[in-house]
Amino acid sequence: MPFSRSIKNTKLVWKALFLREALTRLFGGRFSWFWLFAEPVVHIAFLAFIYSVFRLTHIGGIEVAVWLLVGMTAYFMFSRTSTQAMNAINSNEALFYYRQVLPVDTVIVRAILEGFLMLIVLVLIVIVAMIADLNIAPEDPLMILSAYLGVWLFALGFGLIISVIKKMIPELSHIISFLMTPMYFLSGVMLPVASFAMPYREWLMLNPIAHGLEAARLGFAPYYHAVPELDLAYLWLSALLSIGFGLLLHRNFSMRMVMQ
Amino acid sequence: MIIIKDLYKRYKTEHGPSRWVLEGINLNIPKNVSVGLIGANGAGKSTLLRIIGGADYPNRGTVERQCKVSWPMGYAGGFQGSLTGRQNAQFVCRIHGHEMDLKDRLNFIEDFAEIGEAFNEPVKTYSSGMRSRLLFAMSLAFDFDVYISDEVTAAGDAAFKNKASKAFKDLANRSSMIMVSHGEGTLREFCSAGIWLNQGKAYWFNQIDDALKAYKESIAA
Repeated sequence: MPFSRSIKNTKLVWKALFLREALTRLFGGRFSWFWLFAEPVVHIAFLAFIYSVFRLTHIGGIEVAVWLLVGMTAYFMFSRTSTQAMNAINSNEALFYYRQVLPVDTVIVRAILEGFLMLIVLVLIVIVAMIADLNIAPEDPLMILSAYLGVWLFALGFGLIISVIKKMIPELSHIISFLMTPMYFLSGVMLPVASFAMPYREWLMLNPIAHGLEAARLGFAPYYHAVPELDLAYLWLSALLSIGFGLLLHRNFSMRMVMQ
Repeated sequence: MIIIKDLYKRYKTEHGPSRWVLEGINLNIPKNVSVGLIGANGAGKSTLLRIIGGADYPNRGTVERQCKVSWPMGYAGGFQGSLTGRQNAQFVCRIHGHEMDLKDRLNFIEDFAEIGEAFNEPVKTYSSGMRSRLLFAMSLAFDFDVYISDEVTAAGDAAFKNKASKAFKDLANRSSMIMVSHGEGTLREFCSAGIWLNQGKAYWFNQIDDALKAYKESIAA
């Protein structure tokens, strides 16, 4: 059955979903909005503390705090967006009662909302860091934009794919949660990818997120010694391919996902 | 006109697919004719209604809606429990394109439902009567060509029922309906044509009385 819908209707549904999702995301629990900001800050502060215990002040030529801050916000851009997106279908089950609302809408709208929220969180954290006199400034805005946007797009594609898999084969959601934890360690958030020897470094750089993190650091500190294998085009290509594949999955399974 | 072509439906269960509930339904339902669905329990009346309204999908076959068709009314399926009645109503208004007159629609829903302060509390705290009041008020707030209704008239307590049945009659004058009801009187009152569902097949009757007769004969036999 074709799932055709006018652009006007899509806009209506996306707007309604966006407002609905924003409400629950920001005010769903007590001080939900506060934790959106506090969670990455706590991660950054904790790791910065650990590194200071080890008397490590610089990584790749930039201050540890800056290195952590930029990497962590970029990683949160991925993990939050993809987690929210992949759970969108199950959380919005009731809304598929209205035939205007398709599963793919909830996934995309959640990703957009999360992207916006992380952008705000990023700006706030950078402002706080600048006030705290850390050596950080948006030196190369284009590089920063393409790094964070690339990570966000990859998260959207990842979320689109996983949301279908989780719905169609619920057993696999266990394996997906196994996979998310090592991602944290393998993306170069707390351990610099550059410190790994070849060929392991090359293997780690197969992970598109690692490229986004390194590029983001380079955008905030152009003198940073990034991994030589850094290639933003690789991140963007992976992002676009995963979005394409995700949309294809949604196109094929949309009806079966909401069918009773 | 609603065109249903070669529609098949069975449900997913933990132990594989269920029996076929609908097996090859072909119907053309004109826009301005009110139709009653008739059949024994389990004949697939609600299933067909939900598919026409787009709350569920067939395994095979298509439903083409060439006019404005409501969502299936009378089920509490479309509520998000953690949100308030107002927020749920807002969402439904928005997806139906009523951003501009959102306030008016919400006021209407709030007034008609008469659930007081509960309108601003999460739907999961509602009693079933409050839910059906809100559902009914929401279904009146939009202009559809065809209403899909499953025992909608049964909503609420005695006081609400009077008001609801009056509003329902007004609605029936404005638009057409496709409805399920176990009350023969209700069907005769609102519907001119009938569809009899039997053994997964649908039979169209231009007169509701003929449909009721066919149904009764099938029980007697």
